[in-house]
Order: sequence, then C-alpha cells, then structure tokens
Amino acid sequence: MSARAVALVGGVTTPFGVRPTTWAEMAQEIGAALFRAVPALRTEDVDSLFVGAAEPERFAFQSHVAPLVAEQMGLRPRRILQRTELACASGQSAIRSAYAAIAAGLSDVAVAVGVEKMNLPSMAEANTSMVCVMDRPWDGPGGATAPPFFAMVAQRHMREYGTTEEQLAAVSEKNHRFANANPHAQFHAKSFRREKLRGLPLVAPPLRLGDCSSMTDGAAAVVLVAEDRARAYTDTPAWIRGTGQYSDFHNLAHAGELSRWPGLTAAAGEAFRSAGVGPPDIDFAELHDCFSISEIVEYEAIGFCAPGEGGRFVEDGRSDLGGDVVVNPRGGLLGCGHPLGATGIAQAVEVHDQFARRVPAARQVPNPEWALVHNLSGSANVHSVMIYQGGRAA
Amino acid sequence: MSASEKAHRANGADAEASGSAGEPAAKPTGERPPEKRPFLLDFFPLEGEEATRLSRFYERLREGRLSTTRCRADGELHWPPRVACPRCHGEDLEWLDLPESGRIYAFSAVLGGAPLGMESDVPYAVGLIDLDGVPLRLFGRIEGRPWSALAIGDPVAVEPYDVGDGRVFYRFRALDA
Ligand SMILES: [Zn+2]
Repeated sequence: MSARAVALVGGVTTPFGVRPTTWAEMAQEIGAALFRAVPALRTEDVDSLFVGAAEPERFAFQSHVAPLVAEQMGLRPRRILQRTELACASGQSAIRSAYAAIAAGLSDVAVAVGVEKMNLPSMAEANTSMVCVMDRPWDGPGGATAPPFFAMVAQRHMREYGTTEEQLAAVSEKNHRFANANPHAQFHAKSFRREKLRGLPLVAPPLRLGDCSSMTDGAAAVVLVAEDRARAYTDTPAWIRGTGQYSDFHNLAHAGELSRWPGLTAAAGEAFRSAGVGPPDIDFAELHDCFSISEIVEYEAIGFCAPGEGGRFVEDGRSDLGGDVVVNPRGGLLGCGHPLGATGIAQAVEVHDQFARRVPAARQVPNPEWALVHNLSGSANVHSVMIYQGGRAA
Repeated sequence: MSASEKAHRANGADAEASGSAGEPAAKPTGERPPEKRPFLLDFFPLEGEEATRLSRFYERLREGRLSTTRCRADGELHWPPRVACPRCHGEDLEWLDLPESGRIYAFSAVLGGAPLGMESDVPYAVGLIDLDGVPLRLFGRIEGRPWSALAIGDPVAVEPYDVGDGRVFYRFRALDA
C-alpha cells in the first residue's frame, strides 16, 4: 500500500489571550469559526477528529475530552476519535495523527483541533500544573517550572558562544512586531521595542518577562483531507511533504549540554529527508519560541545557521522578512501566547494562510513555497517537525 | 495527633522514622481515622514501602545518604533510581551511595510564577549539579547563597532535608569556593 498525499485545506484560530470563557465554550467557538472559515466543509464530511489538549484534567478538571469536543463542535466522527497529549506539542500531535490516518487510508477528511484554558483564578495552581509536565516526583520538589530550565539553556549558550541579552531581546522584538499584525495574538497592538524588553523584570535570570511566552487561553482547528478531496475545499492547499520526531530524555538530569539540541537536529533531519528538501529551501518557519533562547538554539539545530551563530543570525535580520528564512511571521509563542494544545494547530493555520496570501502585508512572506513547523514539548524533551509545500490542488 | 504526624501517617512513612514527635503514645479512643493528604496537589512523592518500590532511597536519605541504583548485569548507573535497567532491561539492581559533593553546571532562579506551596520560597535558586566522581548531573534547589552570588563551577554539598511532615528530600548547599 502506498501512502496517499495529504493536504491541509483550511483552518482558523480563536483570539488568544486571557479569555473570560470556559474550556468547553472555546471548543464550541472554534467549531463555529472552522465551518465559517472552510465554507465547503459539511458536518457529515468529517469522518475523524483528533483533539490536542495538554492538561484539561488540571486546567479544566475534565477528562475524556475527545467526545466532549466532538459534541461541542457538532461533529459525529465515525472512523477515528482520539485525544493526543504531548504537552506543548499536543496540537502538532493531533495533526500528525490525522496525517497518518489519511495517508494510510483510514480517514478521508479529518479535523485536528487544539484547546487549552490556562488562566485560572490561582496562577499558583496553573504553575503547579506546568510542573507536572516534568518528571514530577524527582524534578517537582525542586520547583522546576519551565522558565529556570530555559534560563539555564540561555546561561550555557551565552557562556559557550557569547550570545547576549541583546540578541535574546532581538528575537522577542521581531516576534512581537509580527504579532502586532495578527489580530488574534495575545499581545496584538502592544509595542515591545528592544530597549523596553531589556528593562522588563527578570523572571528566571537571565530571562526577563519579554523572553517568556505566556499562559494563554485559546483554540485552533484545521481540516486535513486525502489528495483527491483537496480541490473540493480550497484552491490553496498546504501539502504535508515530510515529518520527523525525536525524543532523547525526560528527567532534567538527562538534558545533556543544554546549549545544543541534538534531538531537534534528528527530528528536522528526518523531516527534510522525507520531504526531499533542506534548510536553504525553507521560505518561512514556525518555530517553538516558548522562550527567546529557544528560537536561537532552534536556528542552529535545524541548520539555518551553524552552531553558536544563532544570536548573530537574528541580530543580522536573517530570520526576518528579507532574510534567509522568515521565522515566526505569525508572531510566535512570544507574541501570540502559548495555549499548549492549540499552539501547534495555530502554527499550521499560519502555514495555510501564508500560502493563500491571506495574512496582513506586514507579515506576509513573499511567494512562499516551503514551510517548516517545529514544536518542542516539556524541557525540550521531544521535538516534532513538519514540512509543508504550497501549491495548487490536484 | 499533630498535623505533621497525621500527614506522616497518611503518607505511610515507615516505623523507624516515625514515633519521635514528643507526644503521648496513648491516643484518645473514638478518634476519626486520619484524612489522606491530597496527593495530587503535592510534588513530594509518597515515600513508604506500601507506595513505592524505591522506599529504600528515602530510608537512606533519612540516614543522610543520597543513593541510587546500579545494574548488577551491566554496571549501568541510574538516575533517578529505578526498578528496571533501561539499558539491558534486567531487574537485578543494587543500591549505591553517591558522592556528597558536586559543582554547578548551570543555574537560575525562580523570581516569580512559583507553584502552590512554594510561593513563599521565592526567590529560590535551582541548578544542575555535576556530582564529583560519577557521570551524573542532578537537578535541585541550591540553598545557602542568593542566586546572584552563585557562579558556574561553584562547589556544593548534597543536603538531605526533612520536608516538614516526616517525608525527606534532597537539595544542594553552596560552599565557599
Ligand atoms: Zn542493565
């Protein structure tokens, strides 16, 4: 059996931010938005539903969310219905699962949706939930939240390669500038010049508030179809051409040298190999900038620049419009916020909208053909990469 | 029964470590059974032998010894301690004491956004510590000095401590270089 080509034919996000709404209400909201965004989609077309949700048990006191979301969205999946959980990469996991199902002939039309509600009355409770992403009985008692881990990555990268706080701020400034052209971004219409970012309070030294993505409420959904169905839904499909994933540790004791992420090099290498392209072919990339330092390490691990050169890469504008590869034109996690399960889906929505020339001019990549999407999860424990190609429907 | 004893009993700590709370041994009759601590709101694990096959780790920690498991078949040194070897998948493991000192490989601090129960600890320093003489790098709190006075390479001592309810854990204490 040869695998079928799979197209992403449309998608949409809710506004991201601190939302006065519940987890389940956002599932209804994204369902309504999806059927508006993909007018040819009918309820009965959707044979499968994949729900990316990282911690609904903790954030919404709710398990068994796949049928809950199906009901909230008004769907009745008859082939595959499941939740995918991979912490911060739960959304991309939903897309990868839908892709695998369609490629194998087990589904023809699937929806991948991500929902996360992270802002709770007690943020200490939300922070507790984030620690549960770690190896909880070993790393939890030390108070291992995400910021100090990525702060240690930054500390080692600075020590080994001379990366500066100014270069970290350059990542955040770029992504916030793109977010200003994204009405659904948590930090839409907020100015973050480099000087202002450098003056924000430290969260986990050397990382300041502007170096960290936020606790965010939001949802996003995409429609994936078999190659022969693409034309029924869009003239501008995003074709999934390659994918790769790699995990080499979980407990913080096994994080290795911190300043390099060989797991990402492996995941991206597999994605490039399966797509038949390499780093110079990529026109734009949605990278997992949960922290500013993450994006710098990711340039290097994916191969957009050499190890140690990530700081200069962003400082010289090589990841901006007009550079080698436009990184995070959506606004990134730094500018859009990071509703865990929705993030990977929202990145894929951006890929589709960029190929369709449907984003505001201030963040439109000129004539894009190839896009790369990366999610990491936890303490960079797992790296998940997908490569898309724009083009006409078959 | 004191609150700490109550939590201690609920968490099933062993007989050796309990019983020194300085309260009368005789218990009033008709007392309600102790309520269980809400485990899902607490980072510290259940340490007793009815809860974990690694209870010896905590018993030894209570004696001041940080230890881990080593595989008898292939010599693989584990961290954290395990019940099965990830390398050969054998289950014949032995306990081994670890060095009581190490050096800071990387560190940061939590200056905000602390989880439940740790809000009053802020600011607290954390780090990855290379233990002396073994190829293990452990994560944990660093006490004894503010984060701004720490440096990569600084020596630290392993410090077992009482969590406050009869359970134990480990952290690191910065030493003079
Ligand atoms: Zn072994």
